[in-house]
Amino acid sequence: MTTIIKYSSLLAISFFATVNCSMAQRTVKDTGFNKLATIDEVVVTATRTQKTIGNIPVPIQIISKKFIQQTGAQKLIDILQQQTGLVLADNPLGQALQGYPNPFGSGIQLQGLDPAYTLILLDGEPLTGRNAGILNLGRIAVGNIKQIEIVKGPATSLYGSDALAGVINIITEKPKANAAGLQLHQSINNTWGITLNSTITKKKTALQLFANRFSSSGYDLDKTIYGKTSDPYWNYSLAAKLSYDINNCTQWLSSVRYFTQKQFNNYLVYTGTQPEPVDGASNETDWSINNQLLHKVSKKINLAARVYITGYQNNAKVFLQNDKQLFDRSFLHQFLLKPEVQLELGEKLNEKFIAGAGYNYETIDANRYPSSHNFNAFYFFAQKEWLFNNRLNITAGARLDKHTLYSAQFNPKLAAAYKLYHNFTLSASVGTGFKAPDFRQQFLNFTNSLVGYTLLGANELANGLTQLKQQGQIDAATNITPYLGNNSLLPEKSVGTNIGLRYCLHNTTVITANAFRNDITNLIDRYNLPFSKVNNQAIYSYANINKVFTKGFDINVNQQLGKQFTVCSGYQYLLAKDKDIVEQIKSGKLVKRDPVTFVSSYVTMNEYGGLFNRSKHTANLQLAYNNIKNNFSASIRAVYRGRFGYSDLNGNAVLDDEREYVKGYTLINASVSKTFTKGFEIQTGSDNILNHRDINKLPNLYGRTYFINCNINLQQLFSYNKKQ
Amino acid sequence: MKKTILASAVLGAALFTISSCTKDPVPQPTTIEKTDSVKVNFSSTSTFTFFSFKNDAVVANTDSASTKWDFGLRFTTFILNSNTYGPGNAGAILQNSIYSTVTTAPDAGYAYDTTAAQKGIKDGSWYNYNPTTRSFSPKAGQTFIFRTADNNYVKMELLAVDYEAFTGPVPLRLIYRFRYTYQSNGTKNF
Repeated sequence: MTTIIKYSSLLAISFFATVNCSMAQRTVKDTGFNKLATIDEVVVTATRTQKTIGNIPVPIQIISKKFIQQTGAQKLIDILQQQTGLVLADNPLGQALQGYPNPFGSGIQLQGLDPAYTLILLDGEPLTGRNAGILNLGRIAVGNIKQIEIVKGPATSLYGSDALAGVINIITEKPKANAAGLQLHQSINNTWGITLNSTITKKKTALQLFANRFSSSGYDLDKTIYGKTSDPYWNYSLAAKLSYDINNCTQWLSSVRYFTQKQFNNYLVYTGTQPEPVDGASNETDWSINNQLLHKVSKKINLAARVYITGYQNNAKVFLQNDKQLFDRSFLHQFLLKPEVQLELGEKLNEKFIAGAGYNYETIDANRYPSSHNFNAFYFFAQKEWLFNNRLNITAGARLDKHTLYSAQFNPKLAAAYKLYHNFTLSASVGTGFKAPDFRQQFLNFTNSLVGYTLLGANELANGLTQLKQQGQIDAATNITPYLGNNSLLPEKSVGTNIGLRYCLHNTTVITANAFRNDITNLIDRYNLPFSKVNNQAIYSYANINKVFTKGFDINVNQQLGKQFTVCSGYQYLLAKDKDIVEQIKSGKLVKRDPVTFVSSYVTMNEYGGLFNRSKHTANLQLAYNNIKNNFSASIRAVYRGRFGYSDLNGNAVLDDEREYVKGYTLINASVSKTFTKGFEIQTGSDNILNHRDINKLPNLYGRTYFINCNINLQQLFSYNKKQ
Repeated sequence: MKKTILASAVLGAALFTISSCTKDPVPQPTTIEKTDSVKVNFSSTSTFTFFSFKNDAVVANTDSASTKWDFGLRFTTFILNSNTYGPGNAGAILQNSIYSTVTTAPDAGYAYDTTAAQKGIKDGSWYNYNPTTRSFSPKAGQTFIFRTADNNYVKMELLAVDYEAFTGPVPLRLIYRFRYTYQSNGTKNF
């Protein structure tokens, strides 16, 4: 790989900008390891057009392919959580317990908002199949990632629902020059990976193929508990991309993706008085087809039309080991069809106008929802940029979403960047965002078998209550009429403000800083109906209840030291609080009861630690060494996560006691890599070198691991052999 | 059913008359302050555990139709000795205040079980349930004020609800830990 990449190579999720007739042979400095080395790096997520990073008025972070390669990581989550302000956090619906991971999963927390509030895109298109708000990031193979763009702050004005905290756009390689590569990976816990990459180009056609198999035996942190902490699994990822230049101004892009995973489950259940083991598997399948037509009408007009189709299936079954009888079955099936058109007007980079419209047809079916559902949604968006005096860039945009289930949502955003000096830019943006109520909050109909309470989604409430009453589970005298009307939930709404700066010194040091505040209203939470079932257990449903805010700042300093060293450091300070709890504390109404002494007292503002699962302080430090002459590179990376709230202990469901925290910890990862002959590279490394473990509260953390990667550039290897 | 209640009420009254005729040789203290725990069935169909504040003791189920008990508990359901469930005059108020700061019991407002479905102490009103740990955690800052079956006043705070150690599929019993102050002479001041 030379240090020059063609602008065109970034077409991956591009919409039109660089169709052949206008191909600019711009060069972008590949500064190696660090993330934001120059202001010339090209990104697309922030504005839906290609843009150099120095001109973007919203906070954006880039993870380069080089960084991914240097870490040797095979999992997206491991790459993401090494970035400033991106924190691996448990789903707030559950918690890790006694050596078992959180049953509701974990994901990336951005600007202090839960994982469900960040939109995850793959090549610009949304992934479906979120389970209780969590998207299993293990579905995304890392071997063909070209670049990951992280836009912080609301991006709903361009992308619609879920983009409250921001957007993570995973951009995969596009077919360009002929290439062929092979990677073999091995690590602890019998983990194996094999990746194949190949690109074939012929005149106007380019085809890229990608295949990956990954498997692991999982691990068991607590041998005294039956079953493994992390279950064994294997998965396959297949992807193909085809580009065809119909003429000088028109290009066709097609991509197909398929992922399938089987995870083996084995645990104890009770059918009678004695525990019995069950065996089974969870099968997860995810596929998508994306067809795009990009057409340059004139120098000033570009058009794009695309149809994206994606499906997700999760089927789990477990059988009693004894008699092979089916014990439990669960499933989630989802489908999305999304045609979209986009128009771009304007020639100059910072003076463009874009507008688009699209339609979503979506179906969902799951075992805990009484019936399958389908939805229609339309959306329109537009954005205009202005450039004044070559210094001030103003971007204004808005999007309208109309969905079957809720009223039309209008979300504007205004952003400005001012170039104070050629190397110093100030930026500010304010925008709104929304998150549609998730399927569980709307359609769930679930009765807990142990305790006997019932949980009904808002749209299922009338139906569920009527049923319970008919079955005699609600007393005949109970008046359920007030709940038989329309109980529809409103989307959760946010207003996000970001103010930042970017300073570049001698092209070797980049300092970025950003302060943020997000105010969220209409947060959906569980509430208790004022009457009980005849078994005296509660009935719960969902309503728009809470108001929270998150605020803080982050700083990144990236430095190139000489030709061989790069140092990147980042820090985030975060406060996240529930406004109603703050009010209760202010008015002296919130009480805690010490779990040991049983003494009750009022909670003070100082004691209030904010929302659970948030660290006030997080930081990272990365040092990379790259010796091109000797084909040797090494990197060491540290991630610090300050203490964060885990679970209430003192009877008020609020974080306000030292004992309710998980202690802060540091993970240190390191890797070294050496290229032997041309195209043959060996990489080895260790993650969590300090061997930090917390079996109870952090069962996702195995402890120290080792890996070895063998990367073979088949293209180079063969041409090298030919020369000899 | 009605007949039984009536009969037992008559019996209760008779017993009460008898006991009031007999002179108590040892004078009882007017205030009892206790921290106690009771074991309660983890099932919404099995028997209640009855408790008497005066005797600081669990009352046998055979005495369910008497005024010997003040409240009954099973799973997370409270019943009171009055109206639907007993011959007494018990009632309860769940107040949002710290136990130590409650100095007087209100004059009125004591709720009782009007029907089996409409309880004086509403289930789910006094605890936070954690579905992961399956724990029922009594809400801090809530004080129960009881009028007992025989018209005395008690303030009570639930301190903890724990599972009794169990091996089978379902826990058998919950252990309720609580403290209370009981006034045996009918005064409302604690």
